Order: sequence, then C-alpha cells, then structure tokens
Amino acid sequence: MKTVDIVERIEGEAKLVCQWDKKKISDVKIQFLNFRGFEFILKDKPILDALVYTPRICGICGQAHLKATVEALENIYKNHNEELTLTNKAKLLREIGLNIEIIDSHIKWFYMFIMPDIVKFSQNSLDEYSPLKGKKWLESSSVASETIKSLAIIGGQWPHTSYMIPGGVISDPTLLDLVSMQNYMDQAIRFYEDSLVGIELDNYLDFKKSEDLYKVKGDLKDFITISFENEFEKIGKSYNRQLVLGDSLSFEKGKVNRKLIKNIDYENIEELSINSFDIDKSKVSKEAYTWSKTALYANNFYETGPLARAVVQNRSFVSDVHKHYKDSMFTRVLARMDELGFLLHKTKQLIKQIDINEESYIKPKVSLSDFKYGVGQGSVEACRGSLYHDVEIENGKISKYDVITPTVWNLGPGVDGKLSTSQKAIVGSDSLEKAKLILRSFDVCSVCTTH
Amino acid sequence: MNSKIKKPKIVWLQAITCNGNTHSLLSANANRLKLFLDSFDLVYHPSLTTDILLDDLLEKEEEIDFLLVEGAITSNKEFFQISDQTTSEVLKKLVLKSKYLIAVGSCASYGGVHKKFEQNSDIFGLEEALDKKDISSLVHPIVNLTGCPVHPEWILQTLFSLKEYKQMPLDEKGRPKEIYSYLAHHGCTRNEYFEWKVEAKSFGLKEGCLFYGQGCRGPMTHSNCNKILWNDVNTKTRAGMPCIGCTEFDFPRNNMLETKKNIGIPDEVPLGVSKRAYLSLAGVAKTFKIDRLNEKIIK
Ligand code: SF4
Ligand code: SF4
Repeated sequence: MKTVDIVERIEGEAKLVCQWDKKKISDVKIQFLNFRGFEFILKDKPILDALVYTPRICGICGQAHLKATVEALENIYKNHNEELTLTNKAKLLREIGLNIEIIDSHIKWFYMFIMPDIVKFSQNSLDEYSPLKGKKWLESSSVASETIKSLAIIGGQWPHTSYMIPGGVISDPTLLDLVSMQNYMDQAIRFYEDSLVGIELDNYLDFKKSEDLYKVKGDLKDFITISFENEFEKIGKSYNRQLVLGDSLSFEKGKVNRKLIKNIDYENIEELSINSFDIDKSKVSKEAYTWSKTALYANNFYETGPLARAVVQNRSFVSDVHKHYKDSMFTRVLARMDELGFLLHKTKQLIKQIDINEESYIKPKVSLSDFKYGVGQGSVEACRGSLYHDVEIENGKISKYDVITPTVWNLGPGVDGKLSTSQKAIVGSDSLEKAKLILRSFDVCSVCTTH
Repeated sequence: MNSKIKKPKIVWLQAITCNGNTHSLLSANANRLKLFLDSFDLVYHPSLTTDILLDDLLEKEEEIDFLLVEGAITSNKEFFQISDQTTSEVLKKLVLKSKYLIAVGSCASYGGVHKKFEQNSDIFGLEEALDKKDISSLVHPIVNLTGCPVHPEWILQTLFSLKEYKQMPLDEKGRPKEIYSYLAHHGCTRNEYFEWKVEAKSFGLKEGCLFYGQGCRGPMTHSNCNKILWNDVNTKTRAGMPCIGCTEFDFPRNNMLETKKNIGIPDEVPLGVSKRAYLSLAGVAKTFKIDRLNEKIIK
C-alpha cells in the first residue's frame, strides 16, 4: 500500500510518500516540490548585495543566513591573507542577534508547530493549546513578539535586517539599549520559568540526570506526560549520529558517530543530487523526487540541530536523556526546549559582556571587489541546525553561491540504498500521525530547503 | 465584542515566499494581534491553522472576505506547487470566492526578490498574474502592501479600515496612500545630519546620515517605517542600516549598501527635489561646520 500526504504547518509544505508493509511504514520519501533558485539569483550580483538577499532565503532564520554570508565573505579576506579585525563587541552583537532569533523560533515552534499535534494524542482535551485562540498559543505569540524586540534594537527590525557586514555590525547600541535587551530576555526567562518548565531557570539548568524529567512542570510537562503515554521515546530513532558545524560562544563544533570528535573539516562535506531535481533537465535522474539535495559528512548521514548541539557540547541533562532514549522523537523535542532555556541564560550573559566603548565596525582596508577572484565558507548554527554557505567571487560579482541548510542535512533524500536521517527515523512507524510527528520533530523548514 | 456580528473571514495563501511576512505578522504588537484575531476569523493559514487544509478550502463554495497572499505567483509547476496545483491555479480559484484581495509584501505585489530567479520567467505579482475575469468578484481594487517584509501594522490597519470603511484610497501602484505617501526618511533620527549634510563616517555609528556613502534610500522610498517604527522599537536607518527601498517596485536593486555617486555627489537626490536645488542647498549647508554634529552624540 502507498499513501501520499501533504504536510502543512511546517515552514512551507512537504509531501510524505509512504510505502506500507504489515501496517508499518517500510519506505518513505519526503518530497519538497518547490524551488526558489536563490543560488541562481545570487549569481552575478554585486558581492555585498548577498547580505540583503540571503536573509530572504528564510523568514524565520534570516539572521543565520546573514551571519553565514558575512562569515563566508570575511573568509575570503582571510584566504587573501587580509584577515579583518573584528572587535569583541561586533562578534558579540552578531551572536546575540542570532541567538535571539533562535529563541524566538523555538518558542513559536513548540506552541505553534508541534504542540497542536502532540495534544491530539492526549487523553485530556487540552484546548489551551489550540491555534489562534488557545490561551497558551496566544501567550507564546505574545512572548515571541516581545523577545524579538531585543533583536530590533541592534538590527533595526526583524525579520530581514542586514545588520552584519564584513568588518562588524552597523549599529552602535547605548548602554540603555543593552539594558532594554536584558529586560526582554528577562521577560522571556519569566515565561520559560512560569509557563514552560514551571521552575526557576537556574534550578532547571542544574538538571543533570534523566530522572530530573520528573521535576519538570509547566507545559513541557504536558509534552513529557503525553510522550511517555504514547511511547514517543521509542519512535523516531535514526542513526544516532550528530553533527555541529558552527563554532561560537554558545555552541561547539564536533560530531558524534559512536565517539565524540571535536575536529570538523569542511572538506568532508559533500552535497549530492542523485535523487534531486535540477534546473538542467539533462542532469536529472529517473529516481529524482525532491528539490532537496543530499548532504553527507565523511560519507555519512548525520542529524543536526539542538539535539546534536547538546550532545556535542555534552550538556548534561539532555546528554543523559539521550543516553536513555537515544535520538528518539521525544529526545529531539526535549533538546529543542532545553536549548531555549540554555540560550536565554547564555544570551543574557553575552549581552552583559559587551563593552560599549569598543568599535562596532572597522572598515576593511580593501574592498572585496578589489580581489580578482576569491572563495570563502561560513558555517553557523541556525534554529534547525548547521547552516553552511560557500561563496565564490570574481571581479566584484558573485560567481557561485552554494547553501546547505539544516533541513537538507536532516530531511534530504537518501542515496545509494542508504536512508537519510529522517527517512530512517520514520521507517517502522505504525501510523501516519506518528510519521508526521517524527517529521515535525526535526523542525522542518521547507522554505529553507527549497532555497 | 458583539458575538452576533459575523466576523469577516480571512484566508492567507502562501505562494513563492520566504514566510517573512507571516513572521512579521506574528511579531506584531501582542495586544494588536490579539484584537485582530478576535475581530476577524482567520479560517486558513498554511502554517498557523489546523482545522482545514488547502484542499478543503478550495472545495468549499464559501465566500472569503479578505484573501491575503504572501509571495509571488507562478504557473510553472516544475518549480512550484502547493497541494498538487500551481500557485496561479490556486490563486485564481480563491480569488473568485473573495471580496478583497490583498498582496502582502513586495513579492506578492510585484514579484520582489523571487522574480530575480530568471530561469523561471513566469513569476509575477498578483496584479500581473490575474486578468479581468479572474477578479470579477472583487469589490475593491487589489491592495498592494509592499515591503520586504511587510510591516505587521500595515496589514492590521488595512484590514480594520476596510472592515470599517469598505474602501481605502490607493496610489498609482495600488498601495494605500495613507501608508505609502510618507517617505522612509520621515522621522529618521538621522534627519538633522541629513539637513546639514553630515555624512556617517562609516557603518557602526550613531552619528551621521547614511545617504552619502551607505546607500540609504530613505528620501526616495515610500513607506512610513520611521513614523510607526518596527517591532515597536526601532528602524533600520535609526540603527545604522541604510534603507534599501524594499517597498518600491524596483526592489531589490543592485549595490544596495553603497551610494552611487558622480564626482562626489549622490546620483539620485530626494524625491521631488531638483538636482540644482539639492546642490545649492548642500553647498550652503556644507560651508557651516557645526561642531555638535561632528562630535559623538554621547561624549
Ligand atoms: S539615514 Fe536615510 S532615512 Fe535617515 S536621515 Fe539619512 S537619508 Fe534619511
Ligand atoms: S526602511 Fe526602507 S528598507 Fe527598511 S523596511 Fe522601511 S522601506 Fe524597507
């Protein structure tokens, strides 16, 4: 038996084509049928215009694209032995902005994208979670819109600012601006404490063992209860391999393939299009079924995202939960909400570290268009996982731009008989509803994938 | 609120988009968003509602009061499809059930960033994607809420005002006059620097105007960003990022982060000002060296 199902209420749309055998999913194809051609759009554009274009790859993680672009462009300087000096303040302002965007996304994701489906599995009717009307839905959207103001203070607006440029950032916040940003963080922390986990953030961050799951109160407890009632800790398991490409003050790069290795070499990244459409029809194979490409690291499929980040960084609570429940759907969702708490705490600290007397921006001595040719890479941790940009410039123009988004890592098509991370997670499911939940647990961004 | 009065029905369609307008709406002032949700019935939004799917919506014969479209339209199915149909097919079916059609963002209005994907030559804004017979059920010309993304307040003000007054005056590009008669320049905290022709020495400063070096299009861009502010707190130009003219027909342009100049003089001058008038005034302004404007604001 075969079923074809359209999944909405992710960022964009995806199609889930399942083969069934003895009431279980025996094979699955995740199709992204849309293509927006950003890599083609960027070709031949003036170099710095990439800073305006790439945030528009995605309305929810635009700042991650911006940061990847600016780092890729700065990498070109470095490759010409003209490395730019960035002040600590500029570095901090960039990372803080990106973290705020992740915080905003995680809040919205839990309440708007996954809980409406999770509560369907509950024995109780949890109307408070119902979209657009439920108390919790409304509260979360209100908190998210308050939180993002702190990014607007340094970026001017959100979504879609290009406040990071080679050499630093464009804004120069005052101390009072920073205090307001702290205030917005504190408001979000209150929400995390009062509504999401029901205990103080400091106490939550002290959790070390998976038994601590029972200390969680609030809305996350609803999730945990429903999960154990429905055995979500047993479904959605994949290769249990994790990858983090981006390095920052908040996250560490590394990979886990049985062992944890902190050394990452971009040379090991490979992008394949064996099962993907191409705008050059002569290159499209018979098997092609999606616009998403396949991303491999050292020939293997990896999962990226909050779970990977927690495990690579060895944050004790999630790592212990992961030890018990592996890369299950449950662990994945829990890791994302844990990361929310972690980032709220971290970002507040980072704001505190800013020295307003430093420069925001140091003008590069040479302009990128002075280089006849150049290549550069940038990699950052976005809401949904590792994001990688690879740019090539020639005579003042972009000659090539390649983007590998987190959703490509997680939800791209398998190749050579090997299932991709999400395919492997879904195969074996005994209902379509569960398969969709597993898909959702990766926090799918079809918009990004179909860049 | 009188619950007996039927709330106007809204359908939100996503075509070729980054979803930025959706996230802009979700970032609206929370009280305003709540009032909006109380006053209208958002029956369908692909990423927010759960009750119905697009297919159900297309099958149902029901009337839609406001059809909001985010993203550009194409009839090319290879590159873009939703629920197995082209965005153009879906759009046409929905428009026929609708009274008002609102383009949310520059892509839906004119194609925007997505129209730059030239390998698909079939990408359009709503106006171009529809012909006369497609829009026969509309009771009002298409409203273009440009911006990349749109400001959430523009959506809310437009909907509330159409609900109350049934119509609103539009400019020659289909945009509500009350929003787009202003320039992004109006209300920028750097206005005094503009007056006295004090340019920002570089990015990353509170001081100086971004018109002379950083490419600011505030004086040529129709929008009230600096009048109503973004996220209730700021704007790009106030923060230090040039206006990139995202509400205009020609967005995105080339070289958006630098000013095109000719022998040191900006190629384009503020809207409606003659080059001669601009140059005379600039010449005079520059003869005065005003210390306060050449020092740090906060010393
Ligand atoms: S920065 Fe731009 S918007 Fe602000 S005053 Fe200068 S020209 Fe006007
Ligand atoms: S200031 Fe200019 S670029 Fe920024 S949102 Fe307003 S119109 Fe668009």
